Amino acid sequence: MAKSRLLQALAAEKGVDIKKVLQKRKAKENSRKARRAGLPDTRHLKKPQAQQKKSRKSEADAEEVDSDDEDEEWEEEESDEDDEMGGLIDDEAEDGDSDEDEEESDEEGKIDLAKFEHDESSSDSEVEMEAKIERPKKGKQANDLPKPKADKAAIRKAAQAESDSEEEEDEEEDSDIDLEDLEDLSDAEREDLVPHTRTTINNHTALLAALSRISIPTDKSVPFATHQSVVSSKPTADSIDDVQDDLKRELAFYAQALEAAKLGRALLIKEGVPFTRPNDYFAEMVKNDGQMEKVKARLVEEATNKRAAAEARKQRDLKKFGKQVQVAKEQERAKAKRETLEKIKTLKRKRSESGAAAGEREDIDFDVAVDNEIKGADKKSAGSRPGGGGRDGPGAAKRHKKDAKYGFGGKKRHAKSNDAASAGDLGGFSVKRMKAGAKGKTTPRLGKSKRKAAAGRR
Amino acid sequence: MAAVYKSLSKATGQKDDAPKDGVRKNKQRVLILSSRGVTFRHRHLLNDLASMMPHCKKDAKFDSKSKLYQLCELADLYNCNNVFFFEARKGKDLYVWLSKVPNGPTVKMHLQNLHTMEELHFTGNCLKGSRPILSFDATFETQPHLRVIKELFLHTFGVPQGARKSKPFIDHVMAFTVADGKIWVRNYQISEVEKTGDKAGEDGGAEKDKPSGGKKSKPGLKDTDINLVEIGPRFVLTPIIIQEGSFGGPIIYENRQFVSPNQVRSELRRSKAGRHNARAEKQLERVVKKGDLGLRTGGVRKPADALDVKQVFA
Repeated sequence: MAKSRLLQALAAEKGVDIKKVLQKRKAKENSRKARRAGLPDTRHLKKPQAQQKKSRKSEADAEEVDSDDEDEEWEEEESDEDDEMGGLIDDEAEDGDSDEDEEESDEEGKIDLAKFEHDESSSDSEVEMEAKIERPKKGKQANDLPKPKADKAAIRKAAQAESDSEEEEDEEEDSDIDLEDLEDLSDAEREDLVPHTRTTINNHTALLAALSRISIPTDKSVPFATHQSVVSSKPTADSIDDVQDDLKRELAFYAQALEAAKLGRALLIKEGVPFTRPNDYFAEMVKNDGQMEKVKARLVEEATNKRAAAEARKQRDLKKFGKQVQVAKEQERAKAKRETLEKIKTLKRKRSESGAAAGEREDIDFDVAVDNEIKGADKKSAGSRPGGGGRDGPGAAKRHKKDAKYGFGGKKRHAKSNDAASAGDLGGFSVKRMKAGAKGKTTPRLGKSKRKAAAGRR
Repeated sequence: MAAVYKSLSKATGQKDDAPKDGVRKNKQRVLILSSRGVTFRHRHLLNDLASMMPHCKKDAKFDSKSKLYQLCELADLYNCNNVFFFEARKGKDLYVWLSKVPNGPTVKMHLQNLHTMEELHFTGNCLKGSRPILSFDATFETQPHLRVIKELFLHTFGVPQGARKSKPFIDHVMAFTVADGKIWVRNYQISEVEKTGDKAGEDGGAEKDKPSGGKKSKPGLKDTDINLVEIGPRFVLTPIIIQEGSFGGPIIYENRQFVSPNQVRSELRRSKAGRHNARAEKQLERVVKKGDLGLRTGGVRKPADALDVKQVFA
């Protein structure tokens, strides 16, 4: 059957008129069948009627195209065109279907060998296509072949059945015509039109007709598992104040989906449909492992970024605090200095007030007093220092040792040049070593003339 | 002989299959394809959707943009009764066509705010080809055109029962919501968690634990609770027209609120060009005004006024 479709497509591609070919083939087959019908066979007794019906039909309606006679299931009956009705007449289409059914039941009695050949190709996954309803093409088919009378009668019947809706439709069709007129206008004329005046099209009747044609039942009469669709209890848009507010909007969608999921789960479990995936059921997922890995990596990265940011913020805060501490320390030092100076000043004043009679003895006393004062101030400041370490703290011993070894503070230049003390110091000199150096050399001193000659040569 | 028996039994089985239920079995197949000129994001979205629709047949890019009725024949060829068609225009605008094949109706929609599954980095995941629960907004039931659209969504995105390649468990919800005259589409994974109050252990679902999670639960459903984790993709659809036929026929609904992206862009361009135009106009005006006042060398001389200073003290 797929083959036949393909054939059609191929024919269309080649530009062969498939209708003609089909008609020819059909005629051939009809004649063949007629020949066979002549034989005394009981199972063909019924057949001529059906055939006659068929042949009559094919004569009456020249445009009727059966897809392929060998393939019964796909025998599509094209209902005839009608200009007034548009494509809205469902009744007619159904009539066509029922006719087809009758034919099929007629032919059911006989064993169709052709069916066996093609049965393998029709799998379960095939969909049943509905019969195609032909629509009139505007203007082109208005003066087409004269319609058979039977069809006209059918149309009239259908029209009576739908007379109520027909009136509405007429009104709407009027508006359609208006629009079509607009389409026919030339471009220059169309530009003159104000675009906002175009008529809105919302043809309720046609919409509902289309809906009824395609709808699959989703009410209580059928099991939920056949359609699995849930309509929310209240419009979701009500809970969205502002569509631009992403969080609220997504929350509303989430709530709608959650409601559906809960309801659907309850219904499915009640119907005995497996719902939860067992833990040992592994199958291909929509997102493959690579992608999930990526998602996971992204999550991890986000988490680490967050942690790093928190850390950095903490450091920043600490730094800010550390600065405060430093400032406080500096202020404290400045204060201590000021206090010391003040004390010295007051002491000096006291001394001068107590009398200038004292001599050298007084001066020494003064120095001692100042030292005391300063020491007291130092002690205070040392006590207030927060951390240990440094040159005066608890870990100072090591520092002192190192300072002694490598030196600390003071001038760096002239450190290795002699001063008076070092020049006078002969601690490193030993006569013995000096003599020993001399003893090692055995060459005696040459005479003056020879020495002179050597110097001249050099 | 066995083949004959098989085909016979199959034929009879098919015959009494249909009337047994009373209703026709829901069989849908969707032809899913795009036009030429789609961007990579459009293509990725198409792939995402196709991966969730085991009942679809993906076809190569369709060449024509004007002869869309050829899609019907194509669908017929592939034995599909629905067509889901992405039409890209100007390499940026995306229009989505949803159609029932032989007889229509057809809906044309404009697709915006597109985010593919890969871009979104959501933690949700679901079985490839599991049947979704379709969640529709109540607004879909209020107006005929929305009902038609809903039906088309149901046929296209709903995986029919027993479809080939579909998985037996249900683990995701597809939500369609009407807000602001547009249809918003979301896709969530259903994750079931132990109802012990300790939800922190659920991976990724922790962020989605909204207050609505805890209340409603059936006593019969073991002690599990549902929460949803979004999977993606996300997109927004604006219906434009509904045609009665399949890629043809009279227009039976038209959205007047829809403004085409071309119009939006041209409006922007015009407003930008307007600044220059206004300035140029003003310049010209000034030239003319000066000419009128006789202040330009080439301009019209005004007739001398009798009370002019030059005339009075001549």
